[in-house]
Amino acid sequence: MSKIDPKEIQKRMARISEMFSEMVSHAETVSQTRCPYRDRHDLCTAEFRCRNQKPPAAEGERHPCGHDGVFDYRSAWESQPLAHGRAKKKVREIREGAAQRRSESRRKKAD
Amino acid sequence: MAELSDIENEFIRQEIEEYLERPEEIERNIELFARVRPAMQAIAAALIEGEDGEVDRLTQQALEDGVEALEVMDDGLIAGMGIVGIKFREAMIFVPEVLACARAMKAGMKYIEPILSESGVKPIAKVLMGTVKGDLHDIGKNLCIMMLRGSGFEVVDLGVDTSEDEFIDAIEEHKATILGMSALLTTTMPNMGKTIEALIDADVRDDVWVMVGGAPVTQEFADDMGADGYGKDALSCVSLAKKLAAQAL
Repeated sequence: MSKIDPKEIQKRMARISEMFSEMVSHAETVSQTRCPYRDRHDLCTAEFRCRNQKPPAAEGERHPCGHDGVFDYRSAWESQPLAHGRAKKKVREIREGAAQRRSESRRKKAD
Repeated sequence: MAELSDIENEFIRQEIEEYLERPEEIERNIELFARVRPAMQAIAAALIEGEDGEVDRLTQQALEDGVEALEVMDDGLIAGMGIVGIKFREAMIFVPEVLACARAMKAGMKYIEPILSESGVKPIAKVLMGTVKGDLHDIGKNLCIMMLRGSGFEVVDLGVDTSEDEFIDAIEEHKATILGMSALLTTTMPNMGKTIEALIDADVRDDVWVMVGGAPVTQEFADDMGADGYGKDALSCVSLAKKLAAQAL
């Protein structure tokens, strides 16, 4: 196996990183109006159910995407203050519950 | 000056003819592919098609045939990815296709990485990435993985719907420096906190830096859950991972 100058490798890695950065930035923009799970054939590649999925042409095939592509669905995800509040409460309960459980376990061990 | 007909691979010729519109990009790619050997054109073509199995096979073959790793990177993998970037920018392909191409690139890099390692180029750090239990969304995580790998990290993809035990087992098995968790749903986001608590219970929390991300996640949530960092997108995920990896040194 022939060795390579690490500087030459770094140049290539920097190029790859730059290409991917551009693609990811573009993906962010595109994803504001086009679902990122929707492929070039307008088929849904998601492994979960989505209300925009239309019935597939045949059993076992991918669902065509029915999203109209005119709104940024991501802001819709983020504008659910009640759900966010519930999630926040749940996180607090998880932490408090875990801390309490550990404290009891430590106390039992000490006894 | 090279002509399109100088390119031996028909698929590459068609790609340039059908999808490239800017004169300087057409010229640059004709010049590039006309001078590269057919085996590299074949790797680029398979990568553009997102055929990871084919890129795997062709890359292995090329290296066995004595082609230098840098040539495989330049003329096969990076050259192919250049066309992918243009097609994506011009809305001829979309995120699922780009991710398939990134997987194909990874399939080729698998054979290059040992050569890099031999030459003293080590990964920045090992990162475990998974979407939490109950959540099947993976695009954000996959974009992060693509960026992390492209930036020199070794990444173990734990997939979607990853349970606390699976995260713990992976930490123990892979001895990673960083654990990245993603959630897209407000309802599954608390499972990140649950996982962090499970890491504490399993006595592995101090073994990894924990970073979290996903559409509903915020810095405040990350702090509430006891994560070490929050990345709002794939680009900030890489910056954060670099920062955490530097702290681990």
